Amino acid sequence: MTRLIRTELLKLRTIRLTYGLLATVAALTALFATLEASRAGTAGTGVAPISTASGLSTVTTVTGFAMLIAAVLGAIVASGEFRHASATLTYQATPHRERVLAAKVSVSAAVGAFFGLLAGVIATGVGLLFASGDGTHFALSTATLLGHIGGAICGAAALAALGAALGSLVRSQLAAVIGIFVWGIVIESLIGGLFTSVRAYLPYTAATTLAGAKLGNAAFGPAHGEAGSAGPLPFIAALALLAALAVAVSVLAARTTVKRDIA
Amino acid sequence: MISPRGVFHPSTGRLTVTAMSVIEISELTKTFGEVLAVDHVSFTVEEGTVVGFLGPNGAGKTTTLRMLLGLITPSEGSATINGRLYRDLRSPLHVVGAVLESSGAYPGRTARNHLRIQATIGEVPRSRVNEVLELVELTEAADRRVGHFSLGMRQRLGLATALLCDPEILILDEPANGLDPEGVHWLRELLRHLAREGRTVLVSSHILAEVAQTVDSVVILDRGRLVSHETLNQLTAGAQQAVRVRSPKARELAATLAAHDANAEILGGDQLRITGASSEQIGTLAAEHAIPIYEAATEAPDLEDIFLRLTAAEQRKGT
Repeated sequence: MTRLIRTELLKLRTIRLTYGLLATVAALTALFATLEASRAGTAGTGVAPISTASGLSTVTTVTGFAMLIAAVLGAIVASGEFRHASATLTYQATPHRERVLAAKVSVSAAVGAFFGLLAGVIATGVGLLFASGDGTHFALSTATLLGHIGGAICGAAALAALGAALGSLVRSQLAAVIGIFVWGIVIESLIGGLFTSVRAYLPYTAATTLAGAKLGNAAFGPAHGEAGSAGPLPFIAALALLAALAVAVSVLAARTTVKRDIA
Repeated sequence: MISPRGVFHPSTGRLTVTAMSVIEISELTKTFGEVLAVDHVSFTVEEGTVVGFLGPNGAGKTTTLRMLLGLITPSEGSATINGRLYRDLRSPLHVVGAVLESSGAYPGRTARNHLRIQATIGEVPRSRVNEVLELVELTEAADRRVGHFSLGMRQRLGLATALLCDPEILILDEPANGLDPEGVHWLRELLRHLAREGRTVLVSSHILAEVAQTVDSVVILDRGRLVSHETLNQLTAGAQQAVRVRSPKARELAATLAAHDANAEILGGDQLRITGASSEQIGTLAAEHAIPIYEAATEAPDLEDIFLRLTAAEQRKGT
């Protein structure tokens, strides 16, 4: 298994797409964190001043988009093999395909975790930069800030693993990537907006709450900020939910599409 | 370098080298929905031989090879390597190197990095990457992205990938596709080199002449069925050989040959193309009738004719 994981890591290290996605994570997190920090305390925006714990955490938890990109990375890791017909070589080297799937899910989680770390550090950095510009003390403790970064790491890792499982199940790179964005941006917003009681259990939302985002803060469109009456899942429960989803989709893929002929 | 497999007999002090089947295809069948792609095909490939796997496009060659490599699940029958299913081989890349129609390299990755990945999964030293790049003459292009490669260069990279773990068996699917005449010559030399090393090679093609100079025997497939499995000599033995003769009395010679049940076609001038008589028989007859012969040459049997005849016969059977 170690050999497979080393191989999958080398595959990611030797393509430009990985670095492109990493740069996208950095750029978008910096952009959104800066926008949120600029809006903080402005009347009508609903964002508390950055001198408050609520205002600062709105900025330091802007890591949702990085998590979606991590899921996209996972989907590409798995489905790219079919797009470029490299699955032929991969399965020749490792005929036990479920091992390949396990390696891809593991490596996606590891690289996704790095995406989460990067996004968490950037968002926290931007938040602290704006907060220090206000000349006030920081409203969040170091432990809380580290907790947000840790949550971003866990959330991005879990979504990347889920993305890899999904990519293996769907096999079409385009469908997997579009599916992730549509789910995260449209479907979860719709479901979350209409049925607030289930919002905490939706995978993208659950991942963002791991990183300390308020329920609904990471949602897009009309559902943004609409927390409803239900609270977020506890950290462990959210992490267990995401891990269970990744395992379930992986098992489904291993029993169906992964076994299919490579013609 | 592959050493021949053999058994040492201490009593006689002799090493007996025996040919054994390293590839065994038995009643292999594959249907895709309603389409019968491979129909109860059986053949074996002996150790250390080079076997041509021939058939027109769509004959079922690639499907058969993919079943052998565990990429496609057979509907019936089995395909084994060294007596085992591909998935049960302990270290498959060290046993079998394969080039299938698609090179399998990610277009955005350099050739060197593609091989480094294969070296990692195959657990061979990085230095081996440079060796195979040298062998397929891609050293200069090693750091270019595969997406910028010509089809011929991709074929070479596929061969480098297959040879990376120094396997004893090579399975090559249409390796000459996309190669220019110089490339085809290079490939032929490489196959000869691999055969001299004692490797077993199963090479597919839809052109018999392309592999005829390299292979020991041929397996011919058409419409998913096995048409023929024999050595090249056996294949050409049944073919009618022709002798080209130059004589100042061409018409007289043609008439004499016709009287002896041979068929002589006057090609114009003093040239004849004769079938149904050997060059010895023609020479004897000409001497008996005092007909001078300036030149006589036996034509090699037309492999493509043989191939087309065999596959056409199979198509007639199928209709």
